[in-house]
Amino acid sequence: MIKEGALPLDSWRLAQYAAQSPCYICSTDNISDAELCHRCFAPMALAHQARTQKTPPRMFATVGASGVGKTVYLGMLMDMLSRQPNHLQALARGAFSINLQQATASALARGEFPSKTPSEPDRWNWVHCQVRNVGQKAPIELIMPDMAGEALFEEVDHPHSHEVIHPLLSKCAGVMILIDTVKLQAGSLDQDYFTMKLLSYLAELSTEAKRGWTDRPIALVLTKADECEDCFIDPTGFAQSRAPGLWQQCHEQFRNVRFFAAGVAGGCAYRIRRGGRVRVPLRVEPRGIIEPFEWLLKQVKN
Amino acid sequence: MTNHIESFEVVAGLLGGLLGTGALTWAALRRFRLRAATARPSAAADVATPHQGDETVAEEATNADVGSLVEGMLAQGRYALLLRRQLVSNLTPEQSQAAREALEQGMSLVPEGNVTLGSADDDDDPDHSVVWHVGGLFLDRYPVTNRQYRQFLTGGGYEQMAIWDPQIWPAMLEFVDSTGCPGPRYWHNGRYATGEDEHPVVGLSWYEAAAYARWVGKRLPSEAEWVKAAAWPVPISDSQQSQRKFPWGDTMDRQRCNLWGSGTGRTVPVTEFSSGVSVGGAYQLIGNVWEWTTGNFGAGDCAGRDLTLPVPMKSIHGGAFDTYFEHQATCQFQSGESPLSRKHNIGFRCALGLCDIAAPRRSSRDDGQATSEARSAPVDAANFGEPSTGECCAGELAAVSQGDHA
Repeated sequence: MIKEGALPLDSWRLAQYAAQSPCYICSTDNISDAELCHRCFAPMALAHQARTQKTPPRMFATVGASGVGKTVYLGMLMDMLSRQPNHLQALARGAFSINLQQATASALARGEFPSKTPSEPDRWNWVHCQVRNVGQKAPIELIMPDMAGEALFEEVDHPHSHEVIHPLLSKCAGVMILIDTVKLQAGSLDQDYFTMKLLSYLAELSTEAKRGWTDRPIALVLTKADECEDCFIDPTGFAQSRAPGLWQQCHEQFRNVRFFAAGVAGGCAYRIRRGGRVRVPLRVEPRGIIEPFEWLLKQVKN
Repeated sequence: MTNHIESFEVVAGLLGGLLGTGALTWAALRRFRLRAATARPSAAADVATPHQGDETVAEEATNADVGSLVEGMLAQGRYALLLRRQLVSNLTPEQSQAAREALEQGMSLVPEGNVTLGSADDDDDPDHSVVWHVGGLFLDRYPVTNRQYRQFLTGGGYEQMAIWDPQIWPAMLEFVDSTGCPGPRYWHNGRYATGEDEHPVVGLSWYEAAAYARWVGKRLPSEAEWVKAAAWPVPISDSQQSQRKFPWGDTMDRQRCNLWGSGTGRTVPVTEFSSGVSVGGAYQLIGNVWEWTTGNFGAGDCAGRDLTLPVPMKSIHGGAFDTYFEHQATCQFQSGESPLSRKHNIGFRCALGLCDIAAPRRSSRDDGQATSEARSAPVDAANFGEPSTGECCAGELAAVSQGDHA
């Protein structure tokens, strides 16, 4: 026996699924109500917000080895720019853009560094903001992800292992490469080698003169420099003496490179927690955080 | 003339005794005497002078009179040395009065009493606060400035080994400026940046700060003394007291101190931010530069109790021009730094115990002569406030009295 019944047809829903929305990072089509791109896991909110802008947002990447301080740097930068009274100012686009600075500032205020960024891209924090330089008319729309060092390491060693990194770095207008000053000062060459690999990866992304990284601005930021005062006085000289391979590669392959020193904690100690020793900040005194970002902005505008 | 020479020797000998060793200090005093007569602005010449013509220097020093020595010491801000009980009896009433006026101008009075250190307002962990008893003291009204520290430098402070901790002698060759001359890290050729005379001196280690303090006859404050001067505790019952979170009250106001976000982003002259002055009249206890204290960071039951320090650290207080969080710039908050660190945002101010200086002469202007008992009696808040010593101090003591017993 067959029973008949009426089934409402949500045609609007079908239409919505039919209209694909391309991801802003990898350009893959996604259904319109997707939260993350199904391929690269970038937030689809970036694409939705970008569609409302006259000029597409630019992207800056913050990269470096695991534990170098990418989350602290980026979170602190955003918090400072959103609180800066008289200088550069940042206005977050969307609530998700505030997550990173909230997590960073809250952890630092508690006397801890923020938790390690998970290597899964769907758990990364992304920032989309409008940056305005007081005295200049047009603000800049910027997108900056907080990527995990492990994911970067895998991608550099095995290209295309993470779908998001290759298209992101290809599209970025500038990059901040973070290097651990403490490890460099201790004589470890790992930072030197990893940064050289990253630079090689960037150089190979595109060999076209206009689209390649040869002329794009690269800020090399020596992090945790608060533990090495000499680094603040002369970051280029410090890099030249402590990371000679990196220094040489920069000058041979890239035309728009500059070294910076940055630090967030005025001093550090260790706390025993869950059976391990955790590094904690004794006080928070951001130094050299805004300078690399400001330099990148100037280079991009020029 | 003979009397003058004898007096000079007495003063110099006592200074030597106070500073540790007679021989080194005597030589330094001779050099100081020559400098007072032939002051030159060139730092290079100042550095070279101590090694030139010792015989001539000795001859000039022998002929010097106590008056010019005292004047020179007052000009260098070393009035605390002159007010020591061992020395004050060699001064004329006018000299004694001048030294006392300099003390009153340069230092604020902190009354004896209890102060709570540690997590006094930490709801999570209230048991870790500790009550300390602090004796009465004077605390510098301002952090030590570049100009003041240069007097120490040109006065041969880096050559007088007696005022330096012996264990630090091997490291003293590293206490140089950016050009390799003795002095704070960020100076050039023994000089600070133009226009920064009244900025707090920074870029010096704890040992350099301690040596300066000894040179001027003072010492670095302990943690409890520093917090007492800033938080100005007032007993509200036998077991409880009310302490301020900031010198001006319990609410942060970035217009009253130089912190991150106050607008400057660098050090400012020590006389600025007058609205943030403490009850006792000390400027910039919060903000501008962290200040070295004698406390060991992580010792006791206060902050840092569960921390493992990479190196032993000295306690610093007050926050600096780049301190980001308000709660790290309270009177209570302490951080730590290696005593050898020479950072861009750490300075210091000096303290002086009330018991370390002689009491003012009683009615010395009326009597013309002061009794030796009065000269050598230790100071306490009561006898320092005798009318003969001046209205400034008496007024200050009245405020202290009200604050302490309210």
